[in-house]
Amino acid sequence: MEGDEEDFVFFGTPIEREEDMTSRKKKSIAEASGQLRTLAPWKQEVRDEEGRRRFHGAFSGGFSAGYFNTVGSKEGWTPQTFTSSRKKRAEIKQQDLSNFLDDDEKAEMEGNSLGTSMQFDTFGFTAAEIAKKQAEKEQNERPSAIPGPAPDEIIVPATDPIGVRLMLKMGWRRGHSIKSSRTNSLYDARREARKAFLALSEDASAPVVGSEHAEVEDMETAAYTDNVNQFHKSTPVYVLNPKQDMYGLGYDPFKGAPEFRVCVVTSENKRSHDSHLPGNRESGHKKLLPKKDGLFSFKSRNVAPGFGIGALEELDAEDEDVYASGYDFEAFVEEIEEPSRLTIEDKKKSSVKQDGILPGFKVATNSDYQLQRFDPPVVPKDFVPHHKFPATLEVNHKMAEVPPKEVPLPVDNNLKVLIEGVATLVARCGPLFEELSREKNQSNALFDFLNGGNGHDYYTRKLWEARQKHNDKTKPLLNEKVAPPAQKMTAESRGNILGEKPLKKSAKDVKPAVPTTNTVNIQFHLSDTFIEPASFVEPTEITKPFQHDPAKQERFEQYLKEKYHGGLRTKDAGGSSKMSEAARARERLEFEAAAEAVTQGKWGKESKPSNQQILGASAGRLQFTSGGSEKPEVSRAEEMMKSMFPKREEFQWRPASILCKRFDLIDPYMGKPPPPPRSRSKLDSLIFMPDYVKAATEEERAISNSISSPASQLGEKEGTTTLGIEDKVEVENVERPVDLYKAIFSDDSDDEEGDSNVNQPEDPTKKIEAANTTLSRLMAGDFLESLGKELGLEVPPDQPYVENHPEPHASQKTVPEIHQEVHTQKREAIDSDAHKDISRIKEGGSKNETVVFNHEITEKDKKVKRVENSSGDERSQKRSKRYRHRSSSPDGNRDRHSSRHKGRKKEHRKHSKDRKHRSHGLSSRSRRSADKEYGDGKREKRKWRD
Amino acid sequence: MSAEDLPKKEANVLKGHEGAVLVARFNGDGNYCLTGGKDRTIRLWNPHRGIHIKTYKSHGREVRDVHVTTDNSKICSCGGDRQVFYWDVSTGRVIRKFRGHDSEVNAVKFNEYASVVVSAGYDRSLRAWDCRSHSTEPIQIIDTFLDSVMSVCLTKTEIIAGSVDGSVRTFDIRMGRELSDDLGQPVNCISLSNDGNCVLASCLDSTLRLLDRTTGELLQEYKGHTCKSFKMDCCLTYTDAHIVGGSEDGHLFFWDLVDASVVSSFRAHSSVVRLSFLSYNSVCNTREGSAALGDAKKGPNLILRVTSVSYHPKESCMITASVDGSVRVWKA
Repeated sequence: MEGDEEDFVFFGTPIEREEDMTSRKKKSIAEASGQLRTLAPWKQEVRDEEGRRRFHGAFSGGFSAGYFNTVGSKEGWTPQTFTSSRKKRAEIKQQDLSNFLDDDEKAEMEGNSLGTSMQFDTFGFTAAEIAKKQAEKEQNERPSAIPGPAPDEIIVPATDPIGVRLMLKMGWRRGHSIKSSRTNSLYDARREARKAFLALSEDASAPVVGSEHAEVEDMETAAYTDNVNQFHKSTPVYVLNPKQDMYGLGYDPFKGAPEFRVCVVTSENKRSHDSHLPGNRESGHKKLLPKKDGLFSFKSRNVAPGFGIGALEELDAEDEDVYASGYDFEAFVEEIEEPSRLTIEDKKKSSVKQDGILPGFKVATNSDYQLQRFDPPVVPKDFVPHHKFPATLEVNHKMAEVPPKEVPLPVDNNLKVLIEGVATLVARCGPLFEELSREKNQSNALFDFLNGGNGHDYYTRKLWEARQKHNDKTKPLLNEKVAPPAQKMTAESRGNILGEKPLKKSAKDVKPAVPTTNTVNIQFHLSDTFIEPASFVEPTEITKPFQHDPAKQERFEQYLKEKYHGGLRTKDAGGSSKMSEAARARERLEFEAAAEAVTQGKWGKESKPSNQQILGASAGRLQFTSGGSEKPEVSRAEEMMKSMFPKREEFQWRPASILCKRFDLIDPYMGKPPPPPRSRSKLDSLIFMPDYVKAATEEERAISNSISSPASQLGEKEGTTTLGIEDKVEVENVERPVDLYKAIFSDDSDDEEGDSNVNQPEDPTKKIEAANTTLSRLMAGDFLESLGKELGLEVPPDQPYVENHPEPHASQKTVPEIHQEVHTQKREAIDSDAHKDISRIKEGGSKNETVVFNHEITEKDKKVKRVENSSGDERSQKRSKRYRHRSSSPDGNRDRHSSRHKGRKKEHRKHSKDRKHRSHGLSSRSRRSADKEYGDGKREKRKWRD
Repeated sequence: MSAEDLPKKEANVLKGHEGAVLVARFNGDGNYCLTGGKDRTIRLWNPHRGIHIKTYKSHGREVRDVHVTTDNSKICSCGGDRQVFYWDVSTGRVIRKFRGHDSEVNAVKFNEYASVVVSAGYDRSLRAWDCRSHSTEPIQIIDTFLDSVMSVCLTKTEIIAGSVDGSVRTFDIRMGRELSDDLGQPVNCISLSNDGNCVLASCLDSTLRLLDRTTGELLQEYKGHTCKSFKMDCCLTYTDAHIVGGSEDGHLFFWDLVDASVVSSFRAHSSVVRLSFLSYNSVCNTREGSAALGDAKKGPNLILRVTSVSYHPKESCMITASVDGSVRVWKA
């Protein structure tokens, strides 16, 4: 994933889409632009740059804590001071409750808050308040066993609210809904009607009357309960139901399945109301139902929004309004609960409809509405409710065909098995399969029988047989038209249809009755899960491992049947009900072992070789996965392991310099920068790695050669030369990153001048040393550069010969360019004779070079020289272009020297003590030699110029 | 050296350790030997005469490995107390303690000049300590291992270490490179051949593997012994003709170097040991599930296992250490 993303390269800045900007961001932007600055300070909100308000927590200020989100006030945060003088004594303050109460709390306590007077107390809030206060007062006076204030539910206001009194005046009675009188009147009217009806039919049939009576009574109670129901709706009475279940608080056992709620409630009510009047049963049910529902829905609604919003959680666009989200959630929950509610409401509605008592309406005697029924379409007499596919039809036709004549078995047993297998498959899957396999195996000699080749007769015979057999099995299916197909489907066949891989079956397994009515395609795909075709091994003989005990043998067979047929185990496994549990278990183990042995033996004996043959033969789609080839696989894995291990890998490893010293070895990474952290992305490595790695590997090669090759034979001077080069290469490497940045980002003229000033009063010897290192580094730089040229990394326009070397890495193009710049800079520091010097060194060490660099052939020595020359020219050109003012004066070069010197010195300081030791100890010799060479070089240079 | 010359006769039994002896090492010339064990002591012996010379006590926990300089003047040791001790042989005092390993230290070695001690720890690291300076900080930490480092060997220019992650890694100081030979099996102990060309690695699949150091090629595998959970030493005889290895059942095995046949095996340690030793030496509990080491309750046969084998550098003489608390000297 990450790697993929890293491979992407993005250009430009993405266009920010309008909808991505949240409204509050816009707001914040607007705010920043000063549009909202006109607001009064107390109206302004404190927001962060994202436009979010900080939420301090529900109990610590909400969105605004303190004064502008501070703990202070307008005057700042000042603690109370205590001052007392002789004249003005500070009075000892007696602190009481009022000191700690807010204004509103105080008002509430003193009872001087603004409220409705009793006269206009429509809803009775004031009365309730008063009652509460009274209760509190009373409680203070007589201490009760239960501490704390009395719960609000218990306290009932002493006076009725004005609204209730008004209603009472208007004839409303307590406990009745407002429409109750109407329904009652309706109820009365109907009662009258029924009475009349009864009186009419009384003499007609006496026994019916009783039942009618009962019915009427039922209806009456129903109507009554309906009334009860209604006034419950109008004025909810909160009954504190004792908690009788064992669930946790707020737990809804029917959360996922609301339809069960009804059942449980019904049964509960049945239980609770059995002792009461039988007529009450239904009413109780109806009464409880809506309430319970309300209770549950209330709870589940309340539980959810509490979770998920913690103070520490990241504030996102959604939870900007923490409080509102809770309400949103409520609506959402309601939606979820809809189905359960619907059913209940339906019930209610139906119960209402049943009575037809919409207030103000009467039930029509004859309704216009009539349920229109349509007769079902007439099924044709000759319709067979069974779909037939052409394939099966064909099978049926073939049935009528004359059976092909008996053919002698083919000689090749493998071919026989193969033919039988294919025939069975074709019989099952239809001719399409045959065609497909024919196409697949056209070139395969083993499948010639499909095209009328060897064994074709046998194949046709077998195919016919298989079809016969198959049809026998499917025929009863076709005949049984009454039974729904779902019942016919066994677990096995369903598994086959769904493409499940069957478990390994024994050879004795009966051919599964797969109805061919299923699509041919699926069957064809199944062919690769087809593990052991039944026809491969006919159930000729059943091995009898328990021949001496027929009862046991029987049980064993039963066991086998169960095992391979699947399904539920019968309780008394194999009729061994008299056996003890332990004995049965033991026997079962025995059976398992025996079954294993039987199948293994058989499998190994018969089908393994043939199977492997088939595997080899049918390289196409038709593959019979053999279960017997497990063992060789394992051994192969072992082989693989062996061939894989031991596995050698090589890494770069940097020993500490002190370690090298202690081991009396030369640090191979002497003076090099610490190894870069392993690059994270490919991009990184693309840009930075090649250069570095290249240098490193070359150096390594150089080092290894200089140490292990017989380079020492080349004489003392040459040895030191290589050493010097080595050193320089490293130094060059150290400096590169800095120079690179300098070259890119900074105009280094000013800081260098500053540096030079600082460096004026330096110790002369140090200066010389530093100069030497600089020199050597530069020489190395030139050296590397010439190498780079040799490799064609830089193509100067006026060098025709370089065109012979095509650029090896197009991707590196940028790197050499930078590189080049770096070098040009460096070159500033030396007099022209310096790189003349290196050319001399190169010349001298040309023998060495062939050892060191594979690319360089001694024939090219001349070229190298030319490169040196030409590049020198080119360099000077460049230099003059870029640093015209500088290059004109030799003093500038001097300055540069010292600046280098300084940089070098800094680095020295950075080095640890031990490293200094090392550099003194190990490279002093090379320095000295470099010194000498420097002198030599000067002389040499003069010669060169001449 | 023929098979008859193998040291099969018990010449001496060095008794004195209270509890399991975990390491036994000859000194450079083979005249003395050092042992370390569960009793937190290091003991110096003359194995040829069977004399106990000196005891070095300072370790807070068991001693797991000990090594002596070629001039016999200094000892380094390590163990369960996560420190590397640097001893003076004659005074018996600790010159320096190197702290830094995060966990138990499994192996320790001096370099040729006795200037550096390299220790291998359970904390998946190799650490090099400077004996010359007074600093007790490691001068180098190598932490490329993926699991506990069990054993370390030094040559003049290389550090070789075997780890439970299944690798034998060679750190070439001169070349500045690391060679990792992955064996696929947790490596218990490594031992260099006397010519320095091969490295013998004892793997936890009860196999010793001989690797060619230059190519990393597997030269031979030696099987027959049991080595599944514990650290046990293996080494080559001084002629490089045979390979010696301990087994978890207390047997000692000799293999022919070339054809990998078991030349000889005999029960080296068989006395009954207290059960309390059992729990020890789950030396290298796994960190990353690479090896199921450290199951201490494997059965009584493990009690007798040979923890350490050291071969005399110039003679057909060998010392073995076992959890039974005895060190035995074997001669031809």
